Amino acid sequence: MNFNLIKTIYFKELREVLRDQRMLFLVILMPFFLYPVLFTIMGSLGKSQAEKIGKETITVLMSPEAESTAIYNTLKQDPTLDLQLKAFDRATIDTAKNTIGIILEEGYKERLRNNNTAGIQILGDQSRDLIEGRTNKIRTQIEQISQQILQERLTAVQLEPTFVEPIKISTVDVAPKEAKFGKIVGGFLPLLLLLFIFMGSVYIAIDITAGEKERKTLQTLFTAPVKIREIIAGKFLAVFTVGIVSAMMNLLSLVVAFMIQVKLLGGNMSKIALAISPQGAIWLILLVLFSTIFIAALCLGVVLLANSYKEAQSYVSPLMMLVLIPCLLVNMPGMELNASTAFIPVFNIGLAFASIVKGTFDTGLVALVTAFTVLYAFLALYLSSLIFNNENVVTGEQVSWKAIFRR
Amino acid sequence: MDHAIEARSLSKDFGDFRAVDQFTFTVEPGEIFGLLGPNGAGKTTTLRMLSGLLQPTEGQSFITGFSMQSQKLEARRQLGFLTGDMDLYRRLTPTELLTYFGKLYEVPATELQTRVSNLIDAFGIGDFKDKHCEKLSTGQKQRVSIARTLVHNPKVVVLDEPTTGLDIMASEFILQFIRRMAKEEGKAVIFSTHHLDEVERLCDRIAIMHKGKLAQMGTVGDVKNSTNHQNLAESFFQLVEG
Repeated sequence: MNFNLIKTIYFKELREVLRDQRMLFLVILMPFFLYPVLFTIMGSLGKSQAEKIGKETITVLMSPEAESTAIYNTLKQDPTLDLQLKAFDRATIDTAKNTIGIILEEGYKERLRNNNTAGIQILGDQSRDLIEGRTNKIRTQIEQISQQILQERLTAVQLEPTFVEPIKISTVDVAPKEAKFGKIVGGFLPLLLLLFIFMGSVYIAIDITAGEKERKTLQTLFTAPVKIREIIAGKFLAVFTVGIVSAMMNLLSLVVAFMIQVKLLGGNMSKIALAISPQGAIWLILLVLFSTIFIAALCLGVVLLANSYKEAQSYVSPLMMLVLIPCLLVNMPGMELNASTAFIPVFNIGLAFASIVKGTFDTGLVALVTAFTVLYAFLALYLSSLIFNNENVVTGEQVSWKAIFRR
Repeated sequence: MDHAIEARSLSKDFGDFRAVDQFTFTVEPGEIFGLLGPNGAGKTTTLRMLSGLLQPTEGQSFITGFSMQSQKLEARRQLGFLTGDMDLYRRLTPTELLTYFGKLYEVPATELQTRVSNLIDAFGIGDFKDKHCEKLSTGQKQRVSIARTLVHNPKVVVLDEPTTGLDIMASEFILQFIRRMAKEEGKAVIFSTHHLDEVERLCDRIAIMHKGKLAQMGTVGDVKNSTNHQNLAESFFQLVEG
């Protein structure tokens, strides 16, 4: 291997990428601005929608016998409720807009007086956020009234509230701090990270393989006194570099967007610390590096089969599924990193990421995942070299799998 | 002494189709050798086998004595190769492109800058040497492409239809340059074209291919005599149409 030649090819590929405005936008600028802008817009929309739901006046119909009940008197105080006493049925609520109906059981007052249970039905279209939110609020108010009535009944018979609560259950979560937050983050972080690495890698891989074929520049390189493996190494390093930079830009952007959002909502970032141990951080970095090597090599090998940019783009969706579906499976119940799952490509990376972020990782298993990822990366690079060695790659003929493995 | 170029019984099959059949020829230093034939005659396949882009099904090719099949890197160092299927890197400037290929051919760093600036002068690239190649005209691109084939000062140059798509001025510039590099610098040149007038003006010897086989080889005069015609076009049509 001539490292000077590899370096020459590598820097030339990077120079071309840096001059490709479309690629720069897609890989670096877009992710950097996308998340903060997207999160801010979504946050503002969510906030204004929540405020609107809180302030908008809705109609509440109650059957006439509800007059002078505690519930009627309490709801009457709420300025966002247009409370009306009139007879109605389900059809009235179905057709009326922004309306909730409250039906008291027949003999409601009598049942309460006799220390029985009195039923209440709340009718409303729960598929609508406004109605669902108000129903919950009304329900809470009624439950408070119910608690007051219970209190009065207990006092009347000289009993303490403990009489109706013989056992009080409380749960203490002993999970470490990082596991709590890690459970949330660990579920989607591997997915995002691998997606970012993939998105960063695949487009430059297309540009420097199928794109070069289409632009008729690959033949020129193949007539130079350079070994195939030196061409692959130079191109692969360029894909790897862009893949890792893209992943880092995406992650950074996501963190910045998250911080902006927490601040906008009045939260405290210090309470959302993701405590990964130094050892975990080293494994995380190693895994990111080797995952990028694997994904970059995979992208390079597969898109090389295409003869044009357009054809290569048709390979992107299946490839993305191949990367993302195993990551989605990581979130299924009972999925754990063990000796059996440690060798399943991509899935093992997702599980290892999740276990590190949760702080529950086993060093031996994560090392095993890293070793397998390196092995798969080399297999992907070997596949690339087989494809590059096929003369149809140069002549622009369709490259058949049979021809690739016939040496 | 080794020939500058030697094709020894070159054959190439694509599945059941034989694109080139037992083609043998040699080219000597300082000689301009014209390769002619209608589309699909096997010219480009022959040139691709000479450059090592395609592996012959049978036979071997040699560049200054180095086998393109078993000593590929050494053979390629002696060869400058340009076909219509080769374009320039759009986002590099001519200076960057020439420097890049100079490095790939391992031209010593001390010589490379001089070599690049000499080629820029010789091909009149100076006015657009720092423009991205995607912004160059067809004629400007072709000058840069030919300069690229010469950046490592090869002993053998293969040019497949180098004047296609060029206007008369740009074509003349290229033809004059081909003549100079053969006659003044002693390079062996294989020149493939559809323009028979260019062949008559430039080539020392020609080979006419038809359906993958050699139909006739010799000087332009030899070919005319063998077919009893006064001009090359008539000889060409007789050979390829039977």
